[in-house]
Amino acid sequence: MILQHIADGILTGAIVSLGAIGLSFSMKILRFANFSHSELLTWGAYFALVLYILHRLVGEPLGGALGPFSFGLPIVGAAALSIVATAALAIALHRLVFARLERRAGAMTMVFASFGVALLLRNLVLLIFGPDPIYYNTALQFAIRLPGGVRVLPDQIFVLGVTIAVVIGLHLFLTRSRAGIAMRAVAENPDLAAVSGTDTGRVILWVWVIGAGGAALAGLFYGMTVQLRPELGFGLILPLFAAAILGGVGSLYGAVLGGLIVGLAENLAVMVIPTGYKPAIPFLLILAILYLRPQGIFGSTGERT
Amino acid sequence: MIGLLSYLVFFLILALVFGIAVLGLNLQWGFTGLFNAGVAGFMAIGGYTHAILTGPAREPVLGGFELPFAVGLLGAMATSGIGALLVGLATLRLRHEYLAVATFGIAVSIQLTFLNWAWLSGGVLGLIGLPNPAKTYLEGSLAQNLAYLAAVVLIAGAAYWAMQRLVGGPWGRTLRAIREDELAAASLGKNPVRIRLEAFVLGSMLMGLSGALYVGFIGYVGPLDYLPIVTFQIWTMLILGGSGNNKGAFLGAVVVWAIWTGSGFVISRLVPPELQAQSGAIQAVLIGLILVVTLLIRPRGLIGERLEVSRHARS
Amino acid sequence: MKILGSAALAIGIACASAGMAAAQDCPVKLGAVLPVSGPMGQVGERIAATGLFAVELFNDAGGVKGCPVEYLLRDTQGQSTVGVDAAKALVDLDGVAALVGAISSGVSLPILTSVAVPSKVVQISCCSSSESFTELAKRGETDGFWFRTYATNRSQAAMGAYIAQQNAFKSVSVVYVNTDFGVGLAERFAEDAAKLGIEVTSMVAYNESQQSYRAEVTTALEGEPEALFLVAFPVDGATITREWLALGGTDNLIVNNSLRSSDYFEAVGSQYLQNLIGYDSAQPRLPSVDSFNELFEARFDGPPNGPGLHSVFDAVTVVLLAMEASDELTGEAIRENIRAVTDPAGIEVYPGIEGIERAKALLAEGKTIRYVGATGALQFDPYGDVQAPKMTWKLDGDTNVETGYLSTQEVAELISSLEE
Repeated sequence: MILQHIADGILTGAIVSLGAIGLSFSMKILRFANFSHSELLTWGAYFALVLYILHRLVGEPLGGALGPFSFGLPIVGAAALSIVATAALAIALHRLVFARLERRAGAMTMVFASFGVALLLRNLVLLIFGPDPIYYNTALQFAIRLPGGVRVLPDQIFVLGVTIAVVIGLHLFLTRSRAGIAMRAVAENPDLAAVSGTDTGRVILWVWVIGAGGAALAGLFYGMTVQLRPELGFGLILPLFAAAILGGVGSLYGAVLGGLIVGLAENLAVMVIPTGYKPAIPFLLILAILYLRPQGIFGSTGERT
Repeated sequence: MIGLLSYLVFFLILALVFGIAVLGLNLQWGFTGLFNAGVAGFMAIGGYTHAILTGPAREPVLGGFELPFAVGLLGAMATSGIGALLVGLATLRLRHEYLAVATFGIAVSIQLTFLNWAWLSGGVLGLIGLPNPAKTYLEGSLAQNLAYLAAVVLIAGAAYWAMQRLVGGPWGRTLRAIREDELAAASLGKNPVRIRLEAFVLGSMLMGLSGALYVGFIGYVGPLDYLPIVTFQIWTMLILGGSGNNKGAFLGAVVVWAIWTGSGFVISRLVPPELQAQSGAIQAVLIGLILVVTLLIRPRGLIGERLEVSRHARS
Repeated sequence: MKILGSAALAIGIACASAGMAAAQDCPVKLGAVLPVSGPMGQVGERIAATGLFAVELFNDAGGVKGCPVEYLLRDTQGQSTVGVDAAKALVDLDGVAALVGAISSGVSLPILTSVAVPSKVVQISCCSSSESFTELAKRGETDGFWFRTYATNRSQAAMGAYIAQQNAFKSVSVVYVNTDFGVGLAERFAEDAAKLGIEVTSMVAYNESQQSYRAEVTTALEGEPEALFLVAFPVDGATITREWLALGGTDNLIVNNSLRSSDYFEAVGSQYLQNLIGYDSAQPRLPSVDSFNELFEARFDGPPNGPGLHSVFDAVTVVLLAMEASDELTGEAIRENIRAVTDPAGIEVYPGIEGIERAKALLAEGKTIRYVGATGALQFDPYGDVQAPKMTWKLDGDTNVETGYLSTQEVAELISSLEE
């Protein structure tokens, strides 16, 4: 059974990884713990739902589910729409709330404001879509058996593949594109980057866009493999923070590895502790890493701000 | 009129009990700049300690000490202080945003512990039958509540007075110095980590006291009382009342609790029952909006700290 | 000053309304404290609506003592502090004569100890299952003001074990919600199953409103049990069932009463639930008592499938009948008369406008009645608890059908056989 727990851990961890990438960059570059980041996952999932509903209304021109998967071609459109819409939402939040607050009241007030924003976003979803859980596809997908008796869902394999693709894409972005290089420069040393002519404002917008894009995908995939409900993101706050801090804030691979560790730890821990304590696991990981290696696995030693 | 008076007494008891927790948070955040996102956790420690110390015996749950009410309050302050000391030692050297995440996680873990560890806390059932001295000695619900309110006013007043003395004195000046410029304060021979730890522990003791007073009044404690939303409420009270001002802590507690409960009262009057589910969500959206707008328009709250130009209150 | 001004205004308005509330004629006010938003919002909203429906029926039958009943619903948001304040405001500011609620025991308990008992107001809950209430009542701390129309966990656990035995399942895994309701039920069930020689392969508690229950499901799958006993509410229950089935778990499901809900069937997909067996409190075997289901269907365009709907209907109706029977609308009088309208020796009356009209006529003649409602013939024991007949059910296509019936007597025998 341990193999099953490991498989579950990696597959659920992949989604946490996607969500944590953005949080990791925003903690490093925006320099505040954004408790509303997890709500972007919820919004991403529901934005995708809107496209699915529209697609159904026009008679499903792109067809239904393909092969062993619970989804078909529309997922490409749903993902694209969701990323764009979630990024727009994130930029709106930045412009309307966080950027203003940073000028007026400082970073820590932003942390508290993010609590308020999270409450607002969560309840807006509740208001618009109602409290009932929603499924992109109500047909139940059955697990396939891999060697060793491990059961996995085809969708989850797909999600793992997409996560790997996204990480490769982001790696190329960060190392090859001007915007990506500027982002890394600001992450490493904001003062130096500003002096050497980097447009910090643009970099900040990129951080929001990338964070929201990852969150949208993570939300879509979570909705796909489990279900959509207004508390989708809220329950992932601690896992996301744990993944970002564990990997070292500002590190792409750190966030990915952090997400996998969180997923594995949650799934393996229930073999030894009562399941009632499971939600505390990410926190214990945070505490452990802060004790042992406060900069995280891949993080550079930073000064205390 | 008796009904209104009776309700106001009840309302004030809860609001002032929350106000004591806000006072503690004000010491941590308003004066020291420590972001404690785990207020509910320390209130839980206080509440459960009080329940275990004063409550009746119940096999197979820890308890049966039936100690006096005041011992329960002191015990609650002691355990929440010890808890804060352990947490503080582990986290206060961290960057601010890590402290927020770590304390948030601590509150979740404390709540889970009380939820699951039945021997300590009664688990999902909570602890029942807790004595309220006002009910032992007085007849009639209004008289009992008035007596309890008097006790809460006295305790809140004492806490306020102590905080005013503390932050007005040399220790308080050191706190603010560290908050404004840690390096400069350290170069003057102050130990920032230690002073921050002291503020963190003291503030958390007040949160524990608040938790104990709540439990003592209600006569029951359960894991549902300490969800993260409680932390959010206490924070909203502080921000709205004005961080860095001890009067603002109580003002914020009364105003926010009035908005929170008053909006429910208004909704029950104006909205037909079949639409109330939506109005619950609207209420939460409005509270979120009020908060964000307050932060944007009046970052110092209704009555914030005035004298210093602080980085928390740049105009 | 602005704040003071508006506070004064608010107090002024509150005074005016409290002044009206003090005059004790029309309308008669019934307070409901239920979580219509928050984690239990989905369940609470329906329960609140069904409570309102019961009030409307009573009003159509002429109300209480000729007065229309006003149903004042306050949202607890699933938070005990908010619930306590709401209950206190209902009692003091609105002057309600009785309180219906709450759902979670963790909210009902503080309301009982800090509002209902001190203010001498009857509190009746549809759904709070904690054993703490019985314990408090035995200690004499409820002063008899506590009632619940929810049959206690004891009989539910016995029904779970009974179903497992009837279907010759040799091994069962238990997945249960980590609340007083789930823990109490699951632990009792494990004892009962052991008595019947059924192996419990694992006991897995889950915390509410988590996004995914993979780890819990994988743990429960270990030992490949022949059946799963699921103690859950519809939303989380659906998530768990889907993950359970997807990962290859057996479709021999035994489910508790709260999963007899169309939300659950639709979310999982009825086609996957054809081997499910459930239990629930039963309607008594009387032809006249299909009325609740029919009344409900006529009002809501769907059957009353969902946790707490039957029991909240009875809670509200019993309280209103007790008010009708009371000379004065005081907590003490209502407390006594709840027993007078559920008297086993009384004349049976049934839900619906005609039933209520008949009940009122009988009460006016000074007779005692026995209300036989949506959950059967209610009879409160000295601690405010009820026993109810039970039934078993399954899904046939999309519709859920009754497969067996145990009278109150049979349920009591089943329990005593398990406790020997």
